[in-house]
Amino acid sequence: MNKYLSILSMQVTNNLAYPGDFLGRSISIATFIFIFAGLWGTTFAISDTDAINGLTLPNMIWYFMMAETLELGRPRINRTISEQVKNGEVAYILNKPYNFILYHFSAGLGDGIVRMTLNLIVGSAVAWILAGAPPAPVGWLMAFITLIGAWILHFCMMALIGLAAFIVEETNSFELIYQKLVFILGGFLLPLEMFPAWLQKIALALPFPYMMYAPARLFVKPEMGLFWQMLAGQAIWVAIFVVLLSFVYQRSEKLLTVNGG
Amino acid sequence: MPSIEVANLQKTFQTKRKAAGMRGSLRALFKPEYHTVEAVRGLSFQMEAGELLGFIGPNGAGKSTTIKILTGILHPTSGNAKVLGFVPWKDRQKLAYHIGTVFGQRPQLWYHLPAVDTFMLFGKIFELDDRETKKRIDLLAEAFDIRDLLETPVRKLSLGQRMRCEVAASLLHRPKLLLLDEPSIGLDVVAKQHIRDAIRKMSQEENVGVLLTSHDAGDLEALCRRVIIINHGQIVYEDKVSNLKRKFLTRKMVEVRYAEEVSPNFSIDGVEILKVGSYGVKLRFDTTKTPVDAVMAHLSEAGELVDITVSDPPLEEVIAKIYQDNKPGMRT
Repeated sequence: MNKYLSILSMQVTNNLAYPGDFLGRSISIATFIFIFAGLWGTTFAISDTDAINGLTLPNMIWYFMMAETLELGRPRINRTISEQVKNGEVAYILNKPYNFILYHFSAGLGDGIVRMTLNLIVGSAVAWILAGAPPAPVGWLMAFITLIGAWILHFCMMALIGLAAFIVEETNSFELIYQKLVFILGGFLLPLEMFPAWLQKIALALPFPYMMYAPARLFVKPEMGLFWQMLAGQAIWVAIFVVLLSFVYQRSEKLLTVNGG
Repeated sequence: MPSIEVANLQKTFQTKRKAAGMRGSLRALFKPEYHTVEAVRGLSFQMEAGELLGFIGPNGAGKSTTIKILTGILHPTSGNAKVLGFVPWKDRQKLAYHIGTVFGQRPQLWYHLPAVDTFMLFGKIFELDDRETKKRIDLLAEAFDIRDLLETPVRKLSLGQRMRCEVAASLLHRPKLLLLDEPSIGLDVVAKQHIRDAIRKMSQEENVGVLLTSHDAGDLEALCRRVIIINHGQIVYEDKVSNLKRKFLTRKMVEVRYAEEVSPNFSIDGVEILKVGSYGVKLRFDTTKTPVDAVMAHLSEAGELVDITVSDPPLEEVIAKIYQDNKPGMRT
């Protein structure tokens, strides 16, 4: 356990080595929130209403802030694994006494904590200016708890895609498909409330809303019933993905080829 | 107990073949043509505990693949191997506690952070307590002369400095066996010497076995007791380094420079004159056929010597010669 914590804290330190990178990231979340606030502002003005399917304009802006925080802070370990397979560095990662997947989990979490903290600070500041006071503390709490499950689900997904790199090396295209699924069915661009009922049902039967919609929606409109529903969904999908991931890992390990040398 | 036992190890890769250019790429997309590369073909050898063994061969000979199989990263296609009693690809993590590895072309130290951070992290990963890690860092800092470098971000180190840190890092957990894949690649003479000295010292003091792949005859001479030469995935020569030297590194190249102009008349039996100028000469001879002192006497008689360079033929030449003389499977 101790070693994984050290890997995590090492990754945090590594992230802090470049303050310039930090600045760039905060500019991007600020820009995105600004654009989306404009879009939603126009939508609400045109439809001449205070709330669309129960969500107000400030709700929508804060919703987007949380979703974007997660999207920019979610693990991208498929790129790391793919990079390490391509340049052969994977040899060093594999010959240490730790679990390869947990190594990437710890390193990815180190990245995620730094990025999400920064996104949350900058994003909240921008959202506060554009949309007024932030959601209630219970919203923060529910968002934080479901953020953990969402992050783990993202990790499993990225790890599955990343392991494909052992065989096909390049995985960007898989990630793009996955990202678009999260954007639409996960409720990143539009909260699930905006979907027709049948599409909501389909979406909720898939893992994507638990990876994005859950923390963002509970953040702006905390509801106990929905909270438990989302937690249960996350638990089920995490269980499925963990089994899948360990199976795929055992298989792909044997197929690895290491480039160079 | 031998620390490495390898029996009839084989590794084949399937690679996609593709004709040049866009048309070739398109064709490969629809009708991929695979061809099989036999990287390692029936390799068998043993290495004793604490032994210093050199593993040499040209590019693509299968050296790195063998090392990667021995560390458990690659699964062999067939054959057996035991490293410190473990089957590497089955017990990779357990084995990892007992071996250190350096792949010369790739960094294992965290690039943006000072090396000492990676050392501390490795301490945690290999489950040493902090006090022990610090003591160990202290010792390695001394042996590899890196005390002043440990707190500099790795990206600011020179290649030679970085490699010293890399090798030191691989020894942090007191491995019984060190697998070094081209540790001296790209280094200048001084840096090479530095690394070799430190490796030899650590190996002697802690009885660490070293399996080293290299292109550089200097690495072998300085470090290894025994050498295995492989080509095309097979052993073509296996012997003590001293024997290898006696047998093959006998053709010396000598270049001398004189203080004053000399008459360019060097006719010694069995000596091949490569270049003659009015201030110097470059020649080659076989030390087993022409006595060294006769050549030297002749050279110094001609005038006042101000400079002399003696060099061995490049290792590639030696390997090429060995490869001509020894068909695969033949052992000396």
